[in-house]
Amino acid sequence: MLLYILRRLVLLVPILLGLTLLLFIVARILPGDPVGLAAGPNATPELIAQMKREFGLDQPLPLQYWNYLTGLVSGDWGMSVFTRRPVFADILEYLPATIELVFASLFIAVVAGIPLGLLTAVYKNGPLDYATRTLALGGIAMPRFFLGLLLQMAFAAWLDILPLSGRYPLIESPPDHVTGLYTIDALIAGDWSAFQIALSHLALPAIAMALSPLATIMRMMRSSTIEVLQQDYVMTERALGLSNRLILFKYVLKNAMTSTLTVIGLYVSWLLGGTVLVETVFDWPGLGLYATQAILTQDFMPVIGVTLVIAIIYLVAMLVVDLLYGVFNPKVRYA
Amino acid sequence: MLTLNKRQFLIGTAGMTAAATLPRLANSAGKNIMVLASTVDIPNFDPHVATGYAPQWLFRNTYDPLVRVVANPPVPAPGLATSWKQSEDGLTYTFELDGNAKFHDGTPVTAKDVEYSFARLLRLAKGPAWMVSGILDQNSVKATGEMTVTMVLKKPFAPLLSVLPWMFIVNSKVVEANKGTDDGQAYLLANMAGSGAFKMGRVKPGDLYELIRVDNDWHKGGNLSGAIWKIVREASTARLMLQRGEVHFALDMFAEDMDAIKDMPKVVRIMEPDYRTFTIKMNTANGPLMDKNLRKAVSYAFNYKGMLDAAGPAQLMKSPLPVGIFGFDPDQKGYDQDMGKAKEYLAKSNFKDGGITLSIHHAAGYENQRRWCLIMLESLKALNINLDIRAMTWPDTVAMARSPEKMVDFYSIFQSPNYADPDNTAFAAYHSSRNGQWQNPVYKNPEVDKLIEDARAEVDKTKRAELYKKFQAVIVEDAADIIGILELRKFAMRDNVKDYVFSPVAANTMEIWPLSIA
Repeated sequence: MLLYILRRLVLLVPILLGLTLLLFIVARILPGDPVGLAAGPNATPELIAQMKREFGLDQPLPLQYWNYLTGLVSGDWGMSVFTRRPVFADILEYLPATIELVFASLFIAVVAGIPLGLLTAVYKNGPLDYATRTLALGGIAMPRFFLGLLLQMAFAAWLDILPLSGRYPLIESPPDHVTGLYTIDALIAGDWSAFQIALSHLALPAIAMALSPLATIMRMMRSSTIEVLQQDYVMTERALGLSNRLILFKYVLKNAMTSTLTVIGLYVSWLLGGTVLVETVFDWPGLGLYATQAILTQDFMPVIGVTLVIAIIYLVAMLVVDLLYGVFNPKVRYA
Repeated sequence: MLTLNKRQFLIGTAGMTAAATLPRLANSAGKNIMVLASTVDIPNFDPHVATGYAPQWLFRNTYDPLVRVVANPPVPAPGLATSWKQSEDGLTYTFELDGNAKFHDGTPVTAKDVEYSFARLLRLAKGPAWMVSGILDQNSVKATGEMTVTMVLKKPFAPLLSVLPWMFIVNSKVVEANKGTDDGQAYLLANMAGSGAFKMGRVKPGDLYELIRVDNDWHKGGNLSGAIWKIVREASTARLMLQRGEVHFALDMFAEDMDAIKDMPKVVRIMEPDYRTFTIKMNTANGPLMDKNLRKAVSYAFNYKGMLDAAGPAQLMKSPLPVGIFGFDPDQKGYDQDMGKAKEYLAKSNFKDGGITLSIHHAAGYENQRRWCLIMLESLKALNINLDIRAMTWPDTVAMARSPEKMVDFYSIFQSPNYADPDNTAFAAYHSSRNGQWQNPVYKNPEVDKLIEDARAEVDKTKRAELYKKFQAVIVEDAADIIGILELRKFAMRDNVKDYVFSPVAANTMEIWPLSIA
């Protein structure tokens, strides 16, 4: 298995190389004048030329790409033309907020979606099944930003029980930076009060993000479970007098999880790439907003950097999913 | 021992969770911390490099200029200079500095710091340096006494006192100590060297910037102990934050937001005319609109009332200069929709039967601009002219403006003045030296150039006003632009903000140090 993991990790290199090459070429052939824009409306041609030299944009494209690749290895992911900060430092600044939001929403989706899927499969066509079906349809159909606005109106503006936006109260300092994930940092610091505050800020955006994956996971789990429940071995276990709970949790769950795991893995990248609207509504300073700003100003290096990060996280997530197949299905062999 | 059944346990857990997640609002009451919600980030803290309204707000509160700008209509006010004198020929200015002024490190602000700051600004030739390009060079500003600064201009420049509020003085010792190889740019990118009322606190790019009042601040006024520039990208979120009292100012509001907060308790709407103009520029250097008669036909065909109706709170412009600014000619009538005249001019043009397709650009995502393009489409149909409407992102727009060949036939653009003088709009938007820049991609008229140059050099106010009157008449006669509208500046604040006075220049980059929270 270790060999399998190593091989998958090594395979990441050509994939990422190809990705950087593609992004580099696409970014350069797009029309627009990002340096002129960053230099400001009153910049002289000399200043624009100076900035192009400063950012290495006056060099031939192959040389620019080579410099970028060699920089990547040493942690130099280029400079943002717009912020004039190193892209890697910017990503480190913004990434934790997005990671916290994505994994909180994934946590909600998994923790609620799997049991609900199981239950609706067992009580197929019952009231719970119909209720969750409605929820699933709504969850998939409703745009996340709209749900976010509704949640804000309900829980912040009317009920006034949860914060409207942001990661932490404006005039208070967040917990000391360890991971950049405020909830985790608060727990590390043993600051229960800070944890509560961070959690309360995380609640609404995470729910807004979670509803769609929750609905999908729930429906996927339901159909997989129904399929497994119709297998001969389940009937045999029932005939042998095993309890429904034992059959469900010990035998059915594991087999039904395989396809759901794939969906969960896919949702990691879907959530990572799709945070921007929720981040905008909830004023959540994450990678989505950073990427959007970079795209709008055609700031190439941050766009490439963010895409790389999302690609790496996605590929690692899919690797983890592949490994988990083995946990749920011992027949899976890693060659 | 306390025992709980399953139901009691669940209810208790739910209650504890609810209590745990109850919000701790960013209620700054009692701490006098002013919170401003804006959509714009502050990417650079160097006052001689950064441009844009968010950095400008930062500089006005963390640095000091020689001269400030206040009130409505805007007038120069003492900043670091308590007084100033101007020679009769308009070439020499002498400033006396405030002996109380101190940098954040406690050292006094001296004339040497002023000399150093102007030399650095002009050496770097970035940020606001363009405002005095050709007027000052690196040797123009000298310390002629411990607290006296003399500025010798290369040629008379009437708007000098209007541009000085955007030229901030840095602590020369701090910058020199961190000069590096780039004149301190790397240092000042993320550090301060100012004498303003606030110093930098927390910096969280893309999220918030916190300012903390300097101990023993030498500025007189206001009761704020701090301020937070909070980046809120969604207007509806900013509106809710304002409603809940989480922010004191919501700076980037749309017309629909202003309607929504109309009767909101404890919220004050600010809707004032400022100097931000909207015009539809025509490609006078390439394509069919080189024909002046066609430009006039279009100017008469355009539905100005429709534009105003679609604009929300705004007023129509009749001249290229904003209403209310010095030199604005109230007798200038501009153009009104008159299809008879439009057809008359079309008949005189090279395209007397129409039958052509023109192109127009609008900023992608800007709904009002898109609506105005549709109004133009409708207007031109009556002249048998088709319109190709293109949405463009800002980088594409900047690139397009570089040459007449790349530029579309019509080009929609808002222009915010950087300083409270007609020279700003006139020079940036109509002087041919600005060709290739987005404010004036192509328009070139030697008569206009001369009027602008004469007006900026004229120190006699009456003569200067007369020159601007002529300038407006020539631009209108030349039909260089579809002269559009002045949208009202729209933002809102809580009613416990005291001493705020609207100023039509840089209205949303206000000095907050003189303000108080009741």
